[in-house]
Amino acid sequence: MLEPVMFKGGVYKHDLVLELVEDLGGYVLQRNVTQAEIILLLLIPSNDMTTLESLVKELRGELTRAPLAGTEVAVVTPTLAIHHLPHVACDVAEYLRRFGTKSNMIGMARGVGKKIAQINEFEMDLINEHDAAVFLFGNFIDCILGKEKLYRNIEVPVIVTGGPEIPKEDLPYAFEYVSTVGRQAHRSRKASEIASLDKIVAAVGRALDGMRKEIEMDPLTTSPPRVMNAVREQIPDIERSFSPLPIALNLNGCRIKLPYDEYSREVEKIAFDEGVTLAEIARITPSKMKNYIVVRILPMSETGFVF
Amino acid sequence: MDTLEVVAVEVPGEDYGAEKYREILLDILQDLGLYKSIGRIYIYSDIKRPYFAIYGLFRGSLPPLKVRDMGDVTQVDGGYQIQVEEEQHMDDLLKVLWAKYGREGVDQPDRDILIVATESSPEDLVVTDIEVEFRQDLVDALGRITPEGFRNRRNEMNEEGFFFLASEETIVPKLIDEAKEQIRRMADA
Repeated sequence: MLEPVMFKGGVYKHDLVLELVEDLGGYVLQRNVTQAEIILLLLIPSNDMTTLESLVKELRGELTRAPLAGTEVAVVTPTLAIHHLPHVACDVAEYLRRFGTKSNMIGMARGVGKKIAQINEFEMDLINEHDAAVFLFGNFIDCILGKEKLYRNIEVPVIVTGGPEIPKEDLPYAFEYVSTVGRQAHRSRKASEIASLDKIVAAVGRALDGMRKEIEMDPLTTSPPRVMNAVREQIPDIERSFSPLPIALNLNGCRIKLPYDEYSREVEKIAFDEGVTLAEIARITPSKMKNYIVVRILPMSETGFVF
Repeated sequence: MDTLEVVAVEVPGEDYGAEKYREILLDILQDLGLYKSIGRIYIYSDIKRPYFAIYGLFRGSLPPLKVRDMGDVTQVDGGYQIQVEEEQHMDDLLKVLWAKYGREGVDQPDRDILIVATESSPEDLVVTDIEVEFRQDLVDALGRITPEGFRNRRNEMNEEGFFFLASEETIVPKLIDEAKEQIRRMADA
């Protein structure tokens, strides 16, 4: 089993970490260099964790578990206006990132108001491309209950946040409800506010664990990190993508940040050592996000094999 | 501690929301530097209807900003030197000085130093009317405090204070009267 971890340390000798990950059969999901510091998101076989830990100790680095690594979470606000941004939305998105997930902020076009709030098909499809969604609502019970229509038809687990305490039974379409995270006009600094962000991370973790269990019942033909590595090896243009994370992993596939029209044929032809191409084991469609490429790996029940 | 004399927020059935909107109000007024000019403020909202009303009383009118309020004015060779401490209104100051003394009469040897070629002190020149700026900022603040979905808005402002009403529904005279009545009740309590 692969364990998601985050390495923080100096750029000096970090190549040793990369080499070890490769030798152990792990994956490098993300690599962020900030001046003399580097942050690596890694998947490591759990049995070999002690080997990596001893190397990291030698390099005076820091190794922490990143339970949300390899996932994409949408942080959804009713709009992108000053009423909803930047404070709470940015705090939540940034805090989720610290635990390894790739968080995307989405502001709806007409999500405001109690009676007039609405979501359109495009927004719904865009949110459904993620592994989970966090909907940030306000401080009034009546409004939070009234906005259920915004996420009722979302297929991925939805974590709803708001200020007041509301029993979970009153929000049947939400995966979980996290209180004390409503509208505010200052950054989250107090211990109680940080504790509320921790609750959101825990709720997202539970939602993703549930999805992982569902996937385990009918395993994917291959793992998303393996597809990611194959893309990196066989489509060199991906390294020239301007996106900070050219391949974003999902639990059931990945998003390749290259234009669909130009690169979809190349992606379909990606070959594996087992003698199959990506088109045979995955659905390759245009993404709702900037015409990128979405890869959804088919389960064993559809292809008849796992590798 | 509140910087205003009175801050009262009432939202029937939404105690948490009322407490949070009090925080939002104070944060936004502080961000925009408005709390010094407002004495009392009352918010009443009925989320079932829904509408959101804010009533505030000013602490008194603000005097116009003069050159001497912006920094030290001293006599030097060839005129008067203004050492600017409040850079926020630098553009207004330059416009006023250029209009009065012409561009050739105003020299700026450094970012915060102006030398005006004149024999009489420019310290009593009016730079800008802060009252107008304050009211513009106040309207901005009221829009930010109000929940975003309440798109129909009505704003009444006079010398003493302001009354702001926002709703998702059309604002009719009956709704205005009702909101004012609730605010009056809060102010009298």
